[in-house]
Amino acid sequence: MKRRDVLKVVGGTFLTGTSCAYAVQWLAPSRESRSFEGTKKGMIIHLDECRKNPGCRDCIDACHAENGVASPEDKRWDVHWIRKVQLKKKPGGGHAGDDSETTEGQSILLLCNHCDNPPCAQVCPVQATFKREDGIVVVDHHRCIGCRYCMIACPYNARFFNFRDHEEWPANGRPKRSHGVAEACTLCAHRLDAGEKPACVEACKQGAILVDHIENETDAKKLAKATWGGGTDPMSVKRIRPDLGTDPKVYYVGL
Amino acid sequence: MSPKAPDSRRDGSTRLVAILVLILLTPLGYYVVAGGVGARGLAGEPFLEPAAPPDPAVERCIGNRTAQEMRFEHWGYLHQARENAVRYGKRTKEGLDSCKNCHKSRERFCNRCHDAVSVKPDCYGCHNYP
Repeated sequence: MKRRDVLKVVGGTFLTGTSCAYAVQWLAPSRESRSFEGTKKGMIIHLDECRKNPGCRDCIDACHAENGVASPEDKRWDVHWIRKVQLKKKPGGGHAGDDSETTEGQSILLLCNHCDNPPCAQVCPVQATFKREDGIVVVDHHRCIGCRYCMIACPYNARFFNFRDHEEWPANGRPKRSHGVAEACTLCAHRLDAGEKPACVEACKQGAILVDHIENETDAKKLAKATWGGGTDPMSVKRIRPDLGTDPKVYYVGL
Repeated sequence: MSPKAPDSRRDGSTRLVAILVLILLTPLGYYVVAGGVGARGLAGEPFLEPAAPPDPAVERCIGNRTAQEMRFEHWGYLHQARENAVRYGKRTKEGLDSCKNCHKSRERFCNRCHDAVSVKPDCYGCHNYP
């Protein structure tokens, strides 16, 4: 056999084999269909509605009861999945896209923004933090080693660390966290999977919080207008610091 | 040339093959012993009858798996259920929180085996299993 023939046979076999492999992959049905519907979950908070009741803590209490978030006496170890904060001006800010001057001093609800491009998931060395296929960013507490990189990476300061073991079991039978894991809002993924609404959405008497499939900002504006009526200025549907490129999925009306 | 040379060489290679075979078979022996422990318990006593007799009305979350299969493989099934729930949002009836619906006592159901084979799973730090 000539060298040329050998090369022909080897090359031909290789090409046929690879094309067959690709064909099989392409023709065969996908191994497992996921339960997610393929769209992104997002949240809209109507701040004007929220501010009508300044001292209200309904959503915070409901969230912490639902998820068994520990609130120890010592504030250093406190964990907040959702909280009220005052926005500040960005120190040394003023670059293009930075709107922190106009939003200075506003009181808003702050929680995990479930970014489409989550910095916390990027830095996690063990892939404990990850983005589910429906866009919810969650921590796999079985895998978390407690390095706290995600807390450093998160630009919204939405992540907290369990410095201590929880002392009490949550009343609703949900698991608690042992000490040494980071955590943040999961958008009540367990409730969404069961077809229910998140705890904060249910608890809000003002109807100021909404969780739905929100693909992009246009969707959010449409949805806000449909929910809160014509008085909602579509231009006021904003996100916090979109200039960071994290593509957050929590939208605020009236920011 | 010494007449003993080929013999000693053959002895050497036989010994080498014997050692290799022994090394290859070591895990098998370990598996047999470990399996024996898992099935009968260290003291030879039968393990964990269910704390409550299975209620025919309650749907079995383990499907058609036998008790023996569950003894050997339950951690794999639990890992699978955990992965499906946490990563893919598929929350089924199967899972650690469902075990306690029938097997009421962790002391009798989990700990007897775990203590005997000296494994310390850290499930119960976060999952409530009384």
